[in-house]
Amino acid sequence: MDNTDKKILNEIQSHFPISSRPFHELGKRLALPESDVLERIRRLKEDGIIRRIGGNFHSNQLNFTSTLCAARVPKEKIEHFVKTVNHYPGVTHNYLRNHAYNIWFTFIAQDMAYIDDALEEISEKTGIREILNLPAVKTFKIKVDFEV
Amino acid sequence: MIDELDKKVIGLVQGDLPLNPRPFAAMAEEIGITEREFIERVSDLKKRGIIRRFGATLRHQEAGFSSNAMIAWCVPDARIDKVGKTLAEFREVTHCYQRKPQKDWKYNLYTMVHGNNRDECCQIADRMSRAAAINDYVLLFSEKEFRKTSMEYF
Repeated sequence: MDNTDKKILNEIQSHFPISSRPFHELGKRLALPESDVLERIRRLKEDGIIRRIGGNFHSNQLNFTSTLCAARVPKEKIEHFVKTVNHYPGVTHNYLRNHAYNIWFTFIAQDMAYIDDALEEISEKTGIREILNLPAVKTFKIKVDFEV
Repeated sequence: MIDELDKKVIGLVQGDLPLNPRPFAAMAEEIGITEREFIERVSDLKKRGIIRRFGATLRHQEAGFSSNAMIAWCVPDARIDKVGKTLAEFREVTHCYQRKPQKDWKYNLYTMVHGNNRDECCQIADRMSRAAAINDYVLLFSEKEFRKTSMEYF
C-alpha cells in the first residue's frame, strides 16, 4: 500500500460520493485520473483490504432489532455450535474470544421474539444453555472508519 | 417510513457497489429506474439517517490493525452516562454501548477498541480505566473470526 492507496482508503470510507461518476469525483479530489482510482480500488479489493463498498444501516430505523449474544461453549462443541449459530442469516459477526463466555455473536432480526426463539432453538440443537442475550440499551458511539 | 422502492434500493446498496465508472446507473437498471432516481433515493436514505454511512468497509486486520478487543465494563448505574461519554471520546474506540447485565454476567458497558497488538489494546484499556475511574473491566480479545458480513435486510 502506498500513500495514494491510503489517501483513497481514508476518503472512501465516509466520503464516498453518491453521484453519477463517483470515481471521477474521487479522482478530482485526489488529483488522479478516474481510471487510476478504479484500478487502485479494484486492487485493494483483490488484496482483501476493502471488504465491500455500500450502505451501512441503522437497523432499528428499518424496524429491525439487534443484539449481542455470548455463549459458554466447551472446546469440543465449538465447531457444531458455531455452525448452528451461523446458519441464521441475521448473525453478522461471530468471534471466538478469550473468556469462559467464549463465543460472541451479533444477531439482527425483525423483532426480539424471533431472536429469543432462535436462541432457544440453538440451545436445543447444541445442548448449550448458557447463552446471554445483551441488547443495547443506549448507543454512545458507532464509528467505523479507520485512518490508515 | 420506507416504501417498496426504497426496499429495492436498499436490497442493492446493502451489497457491494459494482466497480465501473457509473455504478449507480448499473444498479438502477437492475430495478428499472433511472440513475438519477436511484441516486436521489440513496442520498435521501442517507439524509434521513437510515443509511448511517455510505462507503468502503475495510478488513481492519489487512489494513494494519491486527488486534481488536471488546472491553466490558461494570459501571454503577448512576455513573453510566458520564462514563459512556468519557469512553466514547477515545479515538481508539469504534463502538460504545450500554447493555443490560444478565444472569452471572455483571458487565453493562461495552467498548470496541482496535490496536496494532494486544499490548497496545491493554494500554488503551488502562488509559480508559483511569480516565473513567472504573477498575472493574474485562478485555475480550478475538482469537478467531467465524463470521463477519453485512446484514441482508431485503
